[in-house]
Amino acid sequence: MRVEAEADLKALQATGLKKLKPDKPRIAVGLATCGAAVGGRKVYDRLREAIAREGAEIDLVQTGCIGYCREEPLVNITLPGKSLVILRKVTEADADAIVRAVLNGKVPEDKALCRVPAWDHVTGFVMEYGKGFDAIPLYQDVPFFAPQRKVILRNAGFIDPEDIGEYFAVGGYAAAWKALHGMEPEAIIAEVEKSGLRGRGGAGFPTGLKWRITRDAPGGAEKYLVCNADEGDPGAYMNRNEMESDPHMLIEGMIIGAFAMGLRHGLIYIRSEYPLAIERLGRAIGQAREYGILGENIMGTGLSFDIRIARGAGAFVCGESTALVASIEGRTGRPHPRPPRLTDPEGGLFGKPTDLNNVETWCNVPAIVANGSGWYAGIGAKGNTGTKVFSLVGKVDRVGLVEVSLGTPIRTIVFDAGNGGANGKKVKAVQTGGPSGGCIPLRLFDMPVDYESLNKAGSIMGSGGIVVMDEDTDMVDIARYFTGFATGESCGKCVPCREGLKHTLLLINRIQAGKASKKDLATLQEVCETIAATSLCGLGQTAPNPVLTTLAYFREEYEAKVRP
Amino acid sequence: MIYGSAGKDHVPGKPVRVTINGRQYRAEEGETVLSVAIREGIPIPHLCHEESLDPYGACRLCFVEAGKHGKREMVTACTLRVAEGLEVTTDTPTVTKHRAILLELYLAEAPKSEVIKEMAARYGVMKTRFLKKMETDDPLGGKCVLCGLCVRACTEIMGAGAIGFINRGPYTEVNTPFLEPSADCYGCGACVKVCPTHAIVMEDSGSERVMKSWSGTRVPLAQCDCCGRYYAPKELAARTLSALDPQLERELAGLCPSCRGKQIAEREILARQGGAGNHA
Ligand SMILES: Cc1cc2nc3c(=O)[nH]c(=O)nc-3n(C[C@H](O)[C@H](O)[C@H](O)COP(=O)(O)O)c2cc1C
Ligand code: SF4
Ligand code: FES
Repeated sequence: MRVEAEADLKALQATGLKKLKPDKPRIAVGLATCGAAVGGRKVYDRLREAIAREGAEIDLVQTGCIGYCREEPLVNITLPGKSLVILRKVTEADADAIVRAVLNGKVPEDKALCRVPAWDHVTGFVMEYGKGFDAIPLYQDVPFFAPQRKVILRNAGFIDPEDIGEYFAVGGYAAAWKALHGMEPEAIIAEVEKSGLRGRGGAGFPTGLKWRITRDAPGGAEKYLVCNADEGDPGAYMNRNEMESDPHMLIEGMIIGAFAMGLRHGLIYIRSEYPLAIERLGRAIGQAREYGILGENIMGTGLSFDIRIARGAGAFVCGESTALVASIEGRTGRPHPRPPRLTDPEGGLFGKPTDLNNVETWCNVPAIVANGSGWYAGIGAKGNTGTKVFSLVGKVDRVGLVEVSLGTPIRTIVFDAGNGGANGKKVKAVQTGGPSGGCIPLRLFDMPVDYESLNKAGSIMGSGGIVVMDEDTDMVDIARYFTGFATGESCGKCVPCREGLKHTLLLINRIQAGKASKKDLATLQEVCETIAATSLCGLGQTAPNPVLTTLAYFREEYEAKVRP
Repeated sequence: MIYGSAGKDHVPGKPVRVTINGRQYRAEEGETVLSVAIREGIPIPHLCHEESLDPYGACRLCFVEAGKHGKREMVTACTLRVAEGLEVTTDTPTVTKHRAILLELYLAEAPKSEVIKEMAARYGVMKTRFLKKMETDDPLGGKCVLCGLCVRACTEIMGAGAIGFINRGPYTEVNTPFLEPSADCYGCGACVKVCPTHAIVMEDSGSERVMKSWSGTRVPLAQCDCCGRYYAPKELAARTLSALDPQLERELAGLCPSCRGKQIAEREILARQGGAGNHA
């Protein structure tokens, strides 16, 4: 069936709701890569066997991930009319007990993490699950979730990412309908501008402005819209989860962008290391085409827009805009100087003006269109509106994906959501922004997480990795690790990055081997400053951050290792 | 905006005035600051610039400080397009400081290169604090700075694509694919010509040209029908001639440049004396 009238969407939503809230029990296993990695698939299989054995009337589905990685595998149980209950750390051995409890109208409460009486899916639909299970804590009272605000991960962990029906159920594609049928392209761009949305790929460029520049560039509809899903930072996996848990939200964002910019070709550049995300995106694109939401005459508007997937081979530098274009075109991923920018005439993909946005940037768009720019601008801080998903990893107690309003202090993320150091250790610092971010010491943890504050502290937002270090962490070793990563990922085109990082690494190795002197520290500082100031692309420009910030904030650790 | 090199398909741009180190110069819109500086004899060090190729921005030596209305930013002169009112200062303290470090990096990367030593010395850098790269069997003799000009000349100018970058980051090197003799090499020597550090070794030996740096690639040479000298890579000579007028091609084929010169001169003299027929 093709979606050609608003009534079609409403009908699809009603059908979808029957799956999401059936009149029989539903068990959903969190099967994003993170859930699968800790045995989620086996849990799913055992549950299926148990249900078959009992001949039970129970729906068994898979969902994405709600973000609480430490507690996985997570399993949701919905009993008709009752609150949804999330079970934590479910093992194969629990399968029989779960099915038996469900058949008795119960849930295994000893396994329960929390209950969800109602869930706001943000794009205009609030799911009322029902009451009951009062002894189980409420979702919002779970310390990991309490400081969070879910806008991007609005559906993650609740819907089946492989079923467009469940996306329709939670109000999916209604924002695209509203945009395509009820708004002028100019009005959409104005809304995105007013929302204050800034690119989530790291640099924080105003998204509405980039769209406007692309729209105004010559080339008619023969321009490109590209989603950057390269996510090459070690320790960062929010984009992966966004695509694995809710691929249609990305597609919907891209459709709205395509209409606003007046173009017809879309591409998702994604690393091959994300096979599940690629599979789910491919399936989602296929489903969207079936429903006439992608392809020719989308949603009965006469417009055409389609999305193709381009797979990268996982080079970190290919996330950089000009290298990304080279990679898609089949050339070596080596950046070139800008201008020309991708949005310039002849500057983008296949020589056409191109808009490039990060996965998460696109995912915000349906929420903005659905609720208005005023609503969005009210979240977060001035100049840093909206939420951001961070992957909280390293030596932190509660590992997972944390979505908070921009401007939330680091302390809230690491201590309130993350519960401080793992195994009761004291937290010493965090590193933000992926391999080229800086290390921020504990004493600066009251700093709000926003683009400008992080830059001022010598770090970056990057795509949103937060790696926690504790009292046992050797900060020089941290600097060595990240420098080693950047050295290996340098494309080798320009001398400061190619040669400078290599010598930075050699110098740190000398320090670690106890063979360096104070003079070497000065050399280290100088070469890092030059790499940052003179490199051609963002990789080299930011790669010295781990060294420069540890030299600034943890100098005593370096000094303890060098001769005077 | 024009991003291509001013050298290609040259259409004169609008005349503009730029200020470099306090003096005004005339330039054409679309030209780079580095091109203007080279023309005017203003020294800005550079290793990866070639007028007939698009700006590449790899060597990072050509930094200047530039801007309008008193604003200043550090930018590479080879990628910066001139514009009316642009003010440029070379050799500012910041530029000098970073350039010195870059030159130290170059001294370590290409310890055998006299060109680099001289350039570094010109900017007061006599030695490097960084570990020098020492490879015994480096086909480029410890002189390559990976500026990319040879690869680009081979690919973008000659269209041969015989050499390319291998590996990446600090392991990057330039050579033929799989380090095997190249069947695509014309032996034209464009790489040798553009190499700023004279790192590439090419030798003619009898009937062959040997690209010593490029995995021992051998290219047959054409022999002059008249004097017997080997004068140019065979295939390249044929290719060049085929672009000419067919009659001219027939007359010149098989001759080395000096015999060709003699023949043309002879014929011109005869023609003026009303002897041999004219070639149109
Ligand atoms: C070395 C390097 C790696 C990058 N990797 C990514 C990436 O994995 N994903 C991403 O969205 N942006 C990445 N970027 C930023 C992109 O160049 C670009 O700014 C971004 O995709 C634009 O989208 P946005 O405006 O939505 O942020 C990277 C930049 C650099 C310099
Ligand atoms: S900064 Fe590094 S990654 Fe970027 S162009 Fe230079 S060598 Fe390549
Ligand atoms: S000449 Fe400008 S970077 Fe090499």
